[in-house]
Amino acid sequence: MKMPRFSLVLAVCVIAASFSGCVTGKKPTAGGGSDADYVNGTPLPERQEGVSFMSPNVDRGRFHPVYFAFDSFAIGGGERGKIDQVAQFMRGAPNTLIVAGFTDERGTPEYNRGLGERRAQAVREALIRAGVDGSKIQTVSFGAEMPADSGSGEGAWAKNRRAEFGVVR
Amino acid sequence: MKNLRALPLLALLALFHAAPLHGADTPTITISKSDKLSIAIGSITGADSAQVVKILQNDLAMSGYFNFVPAAAAGFVVGGSSNGGSLAGMVTDRGGKIALSKTFNGSERGRVHQFADEIVETLTGSKGIASSKIAFVASRTGHKEIYVGDPDGTGVRQLTNDANISVSPKLSPDGSKLVYTGYKSGYADVYEIDLGNGSRNRIIKFPGTNSGAAYSPDGRSLAVTLSKDGNPELYVTGAGGGSPRRLTRTPGVESSPTWSPDGNEIIYSSDDRGAPQLYRISSGGGSGRPINTGHAYNTEPSWSPDGKKVAFTVRDGGSFSVCVMDLAGGGSRTVAAGEGPAWGPDSRHLIYSSGAAVILLDAQTGQKTTLVSGLGKISEPSWSR
Repeated sequence: MKMPRFSLVLAVCVIAASFSGCVTGKKPTAGGGSDADYVNGTPLPERQEGVSFMSPNVDRGRFHPVYFAFDSFAIGGGERGKIDQVAQFMRGAPNTLIVAGFTDERGTPEYNRGLGERRAQAVREALIRAGVDGSKIQTVSFGAEMPADSGSGEGAWAKNRRAEFGVVR
Repeated sequence: MKNLRALPLLALLALFHAAPLHGADTPTITISKSDKLSIAIGSITGADSAQVVKILQNDLAMSGYFNFVPAAAAGFVVGGSSNGGSLAGMVTDRGGKIALSKTFNGSERGRVHQFADEIVETLTGSKGIASSKIAFVASRTGHKEIYVGDPDGTGVRQLTNDANISVSPKLSPDGSKLVYTGYKSGYADVYEIDLGNGSRNRIIKFPGTNSGAAYSPDGRSLAVTLSKDGNPELYVTGAGGGSPRRLTRTPGVESSPTWSPDGNEIIYSSDDRGAPQLYRISSGGGSGRPINTGHAYNTEPSWSPDGKKVAFTVRDGGSFSVCVMDLAGGGSRTVAAGEGPAWGPDSRHLIYSSGAAVILLDAQTGQKTTLVSGLGKISEPSWSR
């Protein structure tokens, strides 16, 4: 399930190599530090004052959540259609969007907050690639808080590993 | 703490010999009863002397360094007089020579804790833990709120009352301040509370998620996870949360930074290569180097104040364990079932969470004591230095 990420890094390195010759000679995944071969995500816009995912003026039910595999932020093929729907709406609408990332309860709290944010950012990047203006998309992570299903077991966990869309009205 | 002395020595020794399962072991594990200093609490005068003796005895027992024996057989005898808000403490050795004589002020419990720490530091050279502070998240109210207390489990009070999500508390090294992640704005922001006057400020509020802030040992910087640039990465900011300087640059998730005692390095968790692993990076920048713990899922590192060890949480088959790794020798050992370890000032004791409890672990003897319970589910403990 980590393959897509590895492939992305590899692809980036291959592209970089065609320009720079990949002079460091490092393995593409040798990083964790600031000289790793990774191209940045798209910086987030400033927050809208007084507007957040749980605000009354945010429509959280308009689009279906995107679901993820355990400990992964890769967007599965079956989830792409949901993102396309949101992208189609966002391309033609004046609204801004808040993508909220969540995890299941397995995992430690701070890592879960990071993983939830990474899921929200993965969805945001997919929307940007689908032509949505990144300056209209904000992200937030709640980690394992506010589960969609408060039960335990894979059935509940699968529903909780998600990114939700909040359309600011 | 009474279990400490009630446990038969042989059972303890058996425990030590059974414990090392993961290859090369740390040298910190061997202590026998004879390594302990024999001490007696002699005459303490004053109206509150019974209370002083009780706190002092508990503090000294908790330190792990002492055996209580009758005064005639003791290597050291503790005495003192308590009156008018001050405690004049004294320790004499077997020959009657004064090893320590000092007056302590502060709160009723505080001055006894100071005396206990002074005894530990004078007689063992190690830092005491009694005067430090602990913090943790508890869900008693139905919401996750921050609580603070003393490391003997007393003086616990609810610090936040936001009925929202308040998590990831980290005490400043001197215990005077605390940073935490709060969702009052609807986003994850970093707040700082002055524990002296109770004032609170939202100090890090960039777009996206701001979380997991940790004070540098000199209190002048914070390491924190920010996602403002399009991915959760580690940054170092000034004490007030300003001027963020980016440390990592990976497609993965970086979390839970913990500082080396000299402030020159940071250990953190990153899933850059799959499941989360520990990495070590210069706080000035550069590349993160992986730390091979021998486990697949490693999060919540805590670097010991003596710089020698890192404690962290391992996820294995759906349950969590606290592991300790010797940074010089490699090799990690599992010390408890639980999560979120935090080293105490003595680099000997750890606190961690286990369900609805904060547990104190003496990493040398394996002795465990429940410090806090009855506040709902507990997570993310922190300990000042």
